[in-house]
Amino acid sequence: MLQTCSLRIRVPLFAAKLLLAILIFPLCALAQQKTISGTVRDETGAPVSGVSVTIQGTTNGTQTDEKGHYSISAGVGSTLLFSSVNHDASTASIVADQSEYNISLKQRVSALSDIVVVGYGRQKKVNLVGAVGTVNVDEKITSRAISNVSSGLSGLVPGLAATQSSGMAGRNGATLLIRGLGTVNNSNPLIVVDGMPDVDINRVNLNDIETISVLKDATSASVYGSRAANGVILITTKSGKGAQKTALNFSSVTAIEVPTKAFAFMPDYSRALTLQQRRAATNTLPSNQTFRNGTIDQWMALGMIDPLRYPNTDWWDIIMRDGVFQNYNLSASGGNEKSNFFASVGLKNEEGLQINNDYKQYNARFNFDYKVRSNMNTGIKFTGNWSNFTYALEEGFTDPAPTNTAGFDMQYAIAGITPYDPVSGKFGGVMAYGEDPQAYNPYTVYVNALTRQNRQEATGTMYWDWTPVKGLTAGVDYGLNYFNQFQWNANTPNQAYNFQTASFGSRVYVGPNAAVSNITLTGYKTMLNGRINYHTLIKGNHDISALAVYSEEYWYERAQGSSRNDRLNPALHDIDAALTSVQSTSGSSSTEGLRSYIGRLNYTAFNKYLFEANFRVDGSSKFLPGHQYGFFPSVALGWRFTEEPFINGFTNKFLTNGKLRVSYGSLGNNSGVGRFEQQPTLSGNHYMIDNNIAIGIVNRKIINPDYSWETTTVFNAGLELGFLNNRLTTEIDFYDRLTTGMSRPSDLSLLISGAYNAPRANIGQMRNRGIEGNFSWKDRAGAFNYGVSLNASYNTTKLEKWNEFLARGATTTINNIAYNVFLGMPYNYLYTYEDIGIAQTWADVYNAAPQGAQPGDILRKDLNGDGRIDDNDRRAYTGISRDRPSTYFALNSFVAWKGIDLAVLLQGAAGRKDYWLNAFNNVNFGSQRYASTWNHWNSPWSLDNREGLWPRLGGSGNNTAQTSFWLDDMSFLRLKNIQLGYTIPKSLLRRIHATTLRIAGSAENLATISSFRGLDPEKAGNNNNLYPINKSYSLSIQLGF
Amino acid sequence: MISFLAGLTILSASCRKDLLKQDATTELDPNAFWLSEADATTALMGAYAATRPCFDRDYYFDGQAEYVRARGTSTTSGNLRLGDAYNGGNYNPSGYGSSFDKMYRYLYGAVNRANYVIDNTRKMLESTNPTSSSNLETVIGEARLLRGLAYFRLISMWGDVPYLGHTVFNNSEVADLARIPIAQVKDSIMDDFTYAFEKLPVKASLPGRASKPAALALRGKLQLYWASWKKNGWPELEGFTQNVSEATAAYTAAAADFKKVINDYSLTLYLNGDPGKIDSLGRADTLPNYYHLFTPKANGNSEMIMVFTHGGTGTDQGEELMRDFAGRSHEGSQCWVSPRYELADRYQLLTTGDFAPKLIPMNPTTNANARKALNSALNPASYANRDYRMKATIQWDYEMSIGMASLRSTGYVPFVYQKWAGKDTINGIEYITYNTDGTNSGYVFRKFVRNYAGQGRSDGDFAWPVVRLADVYLMYAEATNEVSGPQQDAIDLVNKIRRRGNLPPLQIDKKDTKDHFFAAIEQERIVELVAEGQRSFDLRRWRAIERVWGPPGSPGLFRIDTWGAQPSRYYQNTSDREYQQNYIFRIPPGERDKNPKLTQNIPWR
Repeated sequence: MLQTCSLRIRVPLFAAKLLLAILIFPLCALAQQKTISGTVRDETGAPVSGVSVTIQGTTNGTQTDEKGHYSISAGVGSTLLFSSVNHDASTASIVADQSEYNISLKQRVSALSDIVVVGYGRQKKVNLVGAVGTVNVDEKITSRAISNVSSGLSGLVPGLAATQSSGMAGRNGATLLIRGLGTVNNSNPLIVVDGMPDVDINRVNLNDIETISVLKDATSASVYGSRAANGVILITTKSGKGAQKTALNFSSVTAIEVPTKAFAFMPDYSRALTLQQRRAATNTLPSNQTFRNGTIDQWMALGMIDPLRYPNTDWWDIIMRDGVFQNYNLSASGGNEKSNFFASVGLKNEEGLQINNDYKQYNARFNFDYKVRSNMNTGIKFTGNWSNFTYALEEGFTDPAPTNTAGFDMQYAIAGITPYDPVSGKFGGVMAYGEDPQAYNPYTVYVNALTRQNRQEATGTMYWDWTPVKGLTAGVDYGLNYFNQFQWNANTPNQAYNFQTASFGSRVYVGPNAAVSNITLTGYKTMLNGRINYHTLIKGNHDISALAVYSEEYWYERAQGSSRNDRLNPALHDIDAALTSVQSTSGSSSTEGLRSYIGRLNYTAFNKYLFEANFRVDGSSKFLPGHQYGFFPSVALGWRFTEEPFINGFTNKFLTNGKLRVSYGSLGNNSGVGRFEQQPTLSGNHYMIDNNIAIGIVNRKIINPDYSWETTTVFNAGLELGFLNNRLTTEIDFYDRLTTGMSRPSDLSLLISGAYNAPRANIGQMRNRGIEGNFSWKDRAGAFNYGVSLNASYNTTKLEKWNEFLARGATTTINNIAYNVFLGMPYNYLYTYEDIGIAQTWADVYNAAPQGAQPGDILRKDLNGDGRIDDNDRRAYTGISRDRPSTYFALNSFVAWKGIDLAVLLQGAAGRKDYWLNAFNNVNFGSQRYASTWNHWNSPWSLDNREGLWPRLGGSGNNTAQTSFWLDDMSFLRLKNIQLGYTIPKSLLRRIHATTLRIAGSAENLATISSFRGLDPEKAGNNNNLYPINKSYSLSIQLGF
Repeated sequence: MISFLAGLTILSASCRKDLLKQDATTELDPNAFWLSEADATTALMGAYAATRPCFDRDYYFDGQAEYVRARGTSTTSGNLRLGDAYNGGNYNPSGYGSSFDKMYRYLYGAVNRANYVIDNTRKMLESTNPTSSSNLETVIGEARLLRGLAYFRLISMWGDVPYLGHTVFNNSEVADLARIPIAQVKDSIMDDFTYAFEKLPVKASLPGRASKPAALALRGKLQLYWASWKKNGWPELEGFTQNVSEATAAYTAAAADFKKVINDYSLTLYLNGDPGKIDSLGRADTLPNYYHLFTPKANGNSEMIMVFTHGGTGTDQGEELMRDFAGRSHEGSQCWVSPRYELADRYQLLTTGDFAPKLIPMNPTTNANARKALNSALNPASYANRDYRMKATIQWDYEMSIGMASLRSTGYVPFVYQKWAGKDTINGIEYITYNTDGTNSGYVFRKFVRNYAGQGRSDGDFAWPVVRLADVYLMYAEATNEVSGPQQDAIDLVNKIRRRGNLPPLQIDKKDTKDHFFAAIEQERIVELVAEGQRSFDLRRWRAIERVWGPPGSPGLFRIDTWGAQPSRYYQNTSDREYQQNYIFRIPPGERDKNPKLTQNIPWR
């Protein structure tokens, strides 16, 4: 223990040291040796094996056997220490007239929760005054088939929303959001891994992680000042500290994945053409319709006998497969009083639900600490990861980029195309008379037009600590994070083939002059910290510690891309393997610097009055001189009222621990502005003169000289209660986050916006208010060990200020998506037409406001009663955001009995509404090439189907408008994970020289209850994105030696 | 310990002194610019590049008239070079006036770019020696020409507009600008064109830059438009008064400018206006000169008085004419723009020099004789002996063009309406037919579509004409006809243009009265300038929308196809107000929300 603590000087553990010092004193007295024996039992009276029994202050020790027996030789006056991973330690002082000491150990309620990792240090949880959520990564988490750390955080921490929008292998990370949308700019939390900010959380090996801390309020986060406005996620990896012996661990998780829900495209071309006729019949004479009865009859008949020439392709079947997830890890850890280490290698392999969507990642890590002198420590952490990623389109089946013309073409994947004929080796195109030759064969894209990307990252950090005098530690950290990414495309030439006419159609999927494109991204980030810690205890009751850090961070990134047409052979994919006749190149680099001064002061009086103050000063190269520095201070107070005798006297029967804490402070954000955006520069805009490019230079910039940091001010009040010896713990937090000076491009007049990019201005103010709670019950009943924990959060986001004109229905555009903004409303609030259902008769139409409807069309309400339907008839909902729920909740429960454990995680959200409108449920589809779904067959209103759930096909254009008709409540409750594990008894393992073996079966996203008609109520973002979220069944093995 | 701390301090101090000063790597520090005369030219090129995308897709505007359909555009939203100025615009014959906020924005963008060149070059001029002053004046002249051009477009669409005559440094300078009466703006444009005319060289120093005749032709056109407005009135523009004598003066001045363009610079029509040779029906090995005029091969010829240039593959400055005018058979083009059925009847017979019997649409699925019947629109023989410009401009059934894929020719592609990418055997040779879903009339364009492979659909290097000599001839004829009726020199010029189509000179009944001659001029403008973005502006300045489509409340007109289907109908029971809205564009309401001084045009209030 002593070793452990001094090694942690870097992250002082003052109170623990104090405690130890008191314990260690008695050791000075030496006395006569005698044999001591006894039995160790737990609270239920069951014997506990494997408890380490040591004489304090020495290395002498033994372990209890299967019956809990031990025997050791010790001197009178010495102290025996009984310790075990799962139990609270206990001691016994040896007295002369007793040689049998039977000990009862208390089951530990939560093994690691007493110490919490915070920015630049660790603190005892009881003394914490900030709002910090923690996750200890144990075998219950690592045995799940979790693709990455971000999606694994779903439902584990109140106030942290982890929203997964796609199950695409390699792109299935969750969007993390702490306590609502803090800003309309980058609202992602800062990820810090082992002290190094800006690490991709999805590339961290879950198995390497010891704890994850989620810093939610200003006090806990303000040491990360400028980039902590949206909270911080601190990840600490494992070490060999305190290891009793060198341990080897192997784990494997193997899972099969299927979609939670998928689209039901109709693999029946003659029916699809019939739907085309029905749609066309609303406004086209039969003789002018695109498709003829003969074509349909022919297809219906011949489709039964000639699938090559008259296919009824089930595309979903062709382009989907069962996904596979595999994760293998091998690690070793160990240490002694001089040094300790943790080393691991891991492999993660994902085969996505879509064919040829694969992701493979290798991880390696080596953490090492060494005691150079009694007052000097050093250590390194080195980690690397390598990944290979293959995919067809950016979102798997779709691509929102307007430049990718295959982006939303799945809607054109008609059933009347043969994907591929293995006999002739040809890819099919359209064949039916009248069909649009541009109809889509997704198979050829997912086979012949793949993007491949490999990426390598290496992060190394080292530290050096020196404690010249008691309580004072100075140290230096240096870290480097390097990445290199290479992406290539080399599509295989192929052309649409018509098997009916045995000729190539006009659609060339990939031309014979197919290009090679290579893109390299590379860069690094460095960090240098100088630190000083000081800790002192005055008069035993005044615990003071202080921290000062100076920090420099620097980023460098460069991109280089090139492409050439006409490659020598389709098997080749590097640039030199193509002709130089048509080629293009691009390249650029960018840099950024950040200089910071950080300070923290902690003062704890009488172990019950807590005070903390923090500040961080950040200077960023992104701003103009004079506006580069931001100052972000915070203060917090805490009161452990259960330590007060006048309260304790009444409450000690049931209340073990109680703490009130309040914090207030500010945080910054500079992510809304580009690296060189504030620099007044001239840029190229070239022209052609005499058939040559003539350099043209223009001024596109108007600089806002006053532009500076976006600031978020957070007030947080929390109440922590531990009842019944901490079997029941509750933690409730209220917060108020106000983001001021929110950065947006300013609103330029059209008179100049055609020439100048709108300069950034600090124009907006947004407030998030919410409450979150965590209620957890853990106990033991006989051999049953069980726990239930409920966490829930409620948040409202409100735009309070916008220093520019906001018209009715105003939007602000980010990445080509327009979001509704208005004062007093949530960001992207719901602004919708309301409907009165589908018109059944002409009388219904005449009774409604005129809107060009016919029976079968959706009728909209004339909300303002002016007799016509226009923009002014939309209703704004003050409490509903279309993008994110207001309420999240999760119920985490487990029960363990004699090596068998069962865990269930339920997760849900409420308070979001959005339209179910996308390219695949369009009732007004085009006159050709449309991939109908079974809903198109069953749901549209017609005279024969008056109960139809959809309006008629080919009706009014308003039928596809954003009316409440298509609006769905996105609330859901999901059985996120259920896991059944069995730990093999140690007695059996001894024969194979193993120490632990656990086998577990686990299932993810097993069931979802929701009224949403679309793919998945959790998915956010692009409605056309077709990639489902995965349901998986896994088997895991964890073996330790 | 002190030494340790000192070490730490030194370490941190020595790290990166300039950590917070990181410079852009691909953009230029403004202090390193405007140092030499060459910088002025470089800045001017930036202004050209900013003005080009407000004019080089004017063909979409023809969709607002009766002979061209623009079913959409190939523009890329947010990318000015790729047509953002035209993006979102409505290119139907009616109901378009509220959809050109982006054009408004980018025209002012061009104005700002020009002002930047003008102001900075003027500053340079103050401190320069006389030898280089003429070069700098040329730069200013070109920039002023570009600025005038942008304002000319602005007043043509919106009437009164705010005027920016200098570089803007801050939004507050323009936040509360009011509209300036059109007459005043027109005078400023006149000043710009006049200055350009005085300072520009007779012949541009390098192909692609403006010259004297360009300034003069534009000044003439401005006065012709002004004359039209004054003569015909513009009731939708508040405060604008009709005035016949002002009109006459402007027509006269316009004619004078055009006359100079025609006579003083020895400009000739492309290949002297010779019709060239033409292939037989269904063949396209030899195409008339008029066709070649609209391919990159004709770049730099003297007919093109003012152009905006483009660059081919790899220059990032391509035009997308092929993408817009051709079908999938041509490098996957999209056929956003196609001829209306009604255009075909405008092409006159070589024999009579007058209109042919009207084509008769026939449906081949219900009429077995459709492809053989006399005057059937599906019978290629109905297209025999027509104005050469017909074959050079459009394709009807069984006309051929060179297909292309992956930058290589795929051989001839026959156009057969409604038989997309099907097999067809013609004269014993099997072809795959033209593939498009873009036309609903039975015709596609040949004009602007290259007949050789090697460039992608977005990599065209054609220099788009803003003013060409044929247009000047016709504008001269119009201006003189308005002042004093048909004049022999004007008739000769119209005949020169007809000669390009191999048509005989105008018969006497086409040139005997002012009205007849106007009709002849209009006929030539329709045929000669089709898809060059002139027609809808002509209809508006002539106040001819009612004449073409029928008066308010009338049944309107169908646009049909060669099979007799009626895909669309325009101006059916259309209100007065919508007509008014088609005569003047809507001042962007978002701008008015922020600037109370900005008034709205009458029909948009």
